[in-house]
Amino acid sequence: MTRWFEDIVIDELFDLGSHHFTEAEIIRFGRLYDPQYFHVDPEAARHSHFGGLVASGWHTVSIGHRHMVDALDAEGERLRGLGEEPGISGPSPGVNRMDFKAPVRPGDTVHYTLKVTAKRQSASIPGWGLLFNTIEATNQHGELVYHAELVGFSKLRDYRMPLRLRLVMALTRVPVLGKLLAPANR
Amino acid sequence: MTANPITASRRHYEDLVLGEVIDLGQTLVTRDMIIGFAQEFDPLPFHLDEKAAKASLLGGLASSGWQTAALTLRLLGDSFLTRIASMGGLGFSDLKWKKPVMVGDTISGTATLSALRRSRHHPERGIVTIDLDIRNQRGEPVMTMRLANLVELRDPSLPLEAAQ
Repeated sequence: MTRWFEDIVIDELFDLGSHHFTEAEIIRFGRLYDPQYFHVDPEAARHSHFGGLVASGWHTVSIGHRHMVDALDAEGERLRGLGEEPGISGPSPGVNRMDFKAPVRPGDTVHYTLKVTAKRQSASIPGWGLLFNTIEATNQHGELVYHAELVGFSKLRDYRMPLRLRLVMALTRVPVLGKLLAPANR
Repeated sequence: MTANPITASRRHYEDLVLGEVIDLGQTLVTRDMIIGFAQEFDPLPFHLDEKAAKASLLGGLASSGWQTAALTLRLLGDSFLTRIASMGGLGFSDLKWKKPVMVGDTISGTATLSALRRSRHHPERGIVTIDLDIRNQRGEPVMTMRLANLVELRDPSLPLEAAQ
C-alpha cells in the first residue's frame, strides 16, 4: 500500500502530519518502555537538566513511524482512487542514524516530514528495492526535535527474475533435484 | 549547580567503566504484545495478521522492529539507565534488525559500554556509548545498535581529561 519502487521520486517531500503530546501519554509510554524519572514523574523531573517532564525519544520516534505508515496507506488509497494498483512496502532492515535534538514536553505539537534521499535494488532479496528515508520532526517553535536516516524495503513492479535464477527455481520443482537445490527442503 | 537529589546515590559518569558489560535479562514476546504495539505504532499487515505475515518477507507474525527496540530499551532502563545518573539519550546509530522476532520468542542480550567521553560544551555532562546485542532464545542475533546517552558528573570541576 504505497508506490512501487520504480515510482518513488528522490527528494520528494511528504508531509506526515502532526501529533500533540499530552502529559498522560508521555507518562504511559515511559512507564511501559523507558521509566527514567524525567519520562514518568513530573515532580522528580524538575530536578533534571530538562527542568520538567519530557517524552522518551523512542516515543516521539514511534509516533513518527505511525505517521509514516498512515501516509503510505493514504498514498495507496490515492492511487487506488486513480484506478492504479498500489505498490507494497516491506519491513525495515535498520536505521543508520537517529539524532534527538530537542526534548518534547507535554503540550508540544510535533510535525513530521519524510523524504526518500536515495534508492537501489536489493542485492540479497530479488524483486525488492531499498529506500533510504529521512524523517525530520519539528516542534511548534520550528525547532528540530529529531533527524532520522532509515532504510526500508519496497517492492519492484517490473521485476523480471534473471534467467539463471528462473532456471534454478524450475529445477527445484523436479523432485530429486529439488531436494538437492532447495535449502529449505534439507 | 546544586546536586540532583534524584540521582545523588546513583552511579555517575566517574563510576562507569569502559568495557563494562551489562546483562539485560530477558523478555517474552507474545502474540497479544505484537498486535497491540502494531495497532498503536506500526499497523502494517505483517505485524497484525497471521496470514499476511506468512506471505510477507518476515515469513510469520513478527514484532515491529520499533517494538523490539522499545522492549530492549525497557530492559536497558531496568538494568542500567534507572540506576545511573542518566540525563537522557542523544540518539543512536547502526540499528540493524537482523532477524524478525516471532510470536513466542524470548529476547535477551547485553549492553557494552564501548566509549566514555566528556561533553566539550557542558563540563557537568559525560557521554557513554552503549553497544546493544539482542538475541532470541536460540542465540541468534535479532537486533544490534549503538546508543549515545548523557550521564551526570559527580564533580564537574574535574579537568576534561581526568574523568575517564
